[in-house]
Amino acid sequence: MAIKYTAKVIEHFKSPHNIGVIENADACATEGSPACGDEITVYLKIDKATDRIEDVKFQSYGCASNIATGSIITDLAKGKTIDEAEAITWKQAADELGGLPPVKMHCSVLAVDGLRSAIRKYKKEVKGIDYDSTLDVKTVTEELKHVLWPPVGVDIITLKMVKYIGIDQGAVRVEVSIGSDEKFLDPTIDEIVEHVSKIRGVKSVNVDNV
Amino acid sequence: MIYLDNFRSTMVAPEVWEAMRTAAIDRYAVPAAFTQCGTGAAELIERAQNRLAAAIGASQNEVVFTGSATEAINIALLGSTRAQAIDQPEIVTSEIEYPATLAVYKALEKEGYTAHYIKVDGEGRYDVDQLSSVLNEHTAMVSLMGVNHMIGTIEPLATAGNIIAEASKHIGRKIPYHVDFASALQTQRLDVDAVKADLVSFSSNKIHGPKGVGALYARKGTEVHPITFGSESYSPLVPGTPNTMGIAGFDKAIELLYATFDKDVEHMRSLVNRLAAGIRERIPHILLNGPEGAERAASHLCYSFLFIEGEAIMMFLDMDEIVVDTGSACAAATLKPNYILIAIGRNHEQAHGSIRFTLSRYSTEADVDAALGKLVPIVERLRAQSTIRPPVQ
Repeated sequence: MAIKYTAKVIEHFKSPHNIGVIENADACATEGSPACGDEITVYLKIDKATDRIEDVKFQSYGCASNIATGSIITDLAKGKTIDEAEAITWKQAADELGGLPPVKMHCSVLAVDGLRSAIRKYKKEVKGIDYDSTLDVKTVTEELKHVLWPPVGVDIITLKMVKYIGIDQGAVRVEVSIGSDEKFLDPTIDEIVEHVSKIRGVKSVNVDNV
Repeated sequence: MIYLDNFRSTMVAPEVWEAMRTAAIDRYAVPAAFTQCGTGAAELIERAQNRLAAAIGASQNEVVFTGSATEAINIALLGSTRAQAIDQPEIVTSEIEYPATLAVYKALEKEGYTAHYIKVDGEGRYDVDQLSSVLNEHTAMVSLMGVNHMIGTIEPLATAGNIIAEASKHIGRKIPYHVDFASALQTQRLDVDAVKADLVSFSSNKIHGPKGVGALYARKGTEVHPITFGSESYSPLVPGTPNTMGIAGFDKAIELLYATFDKDVEHMRSLVNRLAAGIRERIPHILLNGPEGAERAASHLCYSFLFIEGEAIMMFLDMDEIVVDTGSACAAATLKPNYILIAIGRNHEQAHGSIRFTLSRYSTEADVDAALGKLVPIVERLRAQSTIRPPVQ
């Protein structure tokens, strides 16, 4: 089937909303990496009395869907309280865009991660709420729910592709079951490493395809 | 539409379309003996064989028509390796070949062949010393390409041919040498004897011929087993009813190609130089992928635009009806950066920002100027909204 963007994606890519930088932002966070092909930075201006997002902007190094999801997620977040904005899911972002090709779903995950990271930074730095959880199988599992299998755009936990998670003094070992001929094997392993490395206390990540 | 993706495929030339129409509607018989329409179809194929053969210094029976360059590559590589009985066979190619060649090599590796992938330098030229060092009495095949499709590098085919001939003499057996000439045909002349090639693959749709036709040259005496089987045809390598409409189109495309070859190559080179000069002048922070000047195919240009991603550039150009290609992972079905750009030493970020412009003889100065005029603000705009900032000068 032809892989196409919806008219809504093209519209947001062509004229992205909320693009740019907020000087003196109350919080800002970057997710992804140029090496992986996508990176997004989200800036927040928050009314401290009401915890409402007064202004939100983003910058993107990435493809059309990365720019479009940055645009839609900042639209969705603007005017919401930080708790409401934190609850926005990548599925919601993708739905708002009229859907994304499965292979591009990870772009909406990245945009949502950028927004959540900025909110959590604000909560930690301004409100003193510490979100950094301890390194255990549960946190790794939660993080792996952000890694999507590109052919279907569904996370690798739901798809039962993760067979084992082992943690030993900061060394994380993840065993996945992906056919060795699968063309998405390498980029998926890269993404697992990128996500798990973000968890506090992780010293190394080892992914094996079993 | 301004189409600058001619290494992927080209417009069918109007004269080609006319030749195909004639073959499809007026002369649609299949090749056969004695009857007027049957022999007419047979002569159509012979004429096409002769035309390509004459252009590359071969003879009529050394040329067959296939369904694509991919099919020609499959027949050449599978058919030739299967025709040899070599103990612990080894096959040699490079790490920057066309996907069809690499896919056949992977399949042969599964059958037990040991494959060697020779390295390239920073501009994509084969390491011919490494080629020399890997050839031995177990070598069953060498496959190399004339022009690299992603970075435009003209490869040292004749040097490689001499090395393979020398090694063949040393081991007392001819090592078959296959050349993938699909991306080279548009801008490079070929003499199969000068290059010492035994097998050469061609594609029609890269030179304004139709899709669905390719050709294979197999030097007389080179043993190639058929890989498909069916009813008798003009060659056992291509059984079944021949695609006379496609062959007539390919034939016309070859005739047109050589009718104005030097003039067209000069035209395309001057346009590529104009585009390259405009990019260099108006866009900072760029990297040329592949060599400069005469060492690169005349119709080919590939730049990496740093700090931004190629699919976004490609999509913006597409909205302005300008068609290019990118080596970015985001645009690839595999989500991996282009392997050829990685092989020449580009990092992922540099590969993501790559845009390939490939011209044809139909491209004009106005096309190039319009593309440049659109490209400059697109790059500026994407850089302004990127998370990565250019270093302060």
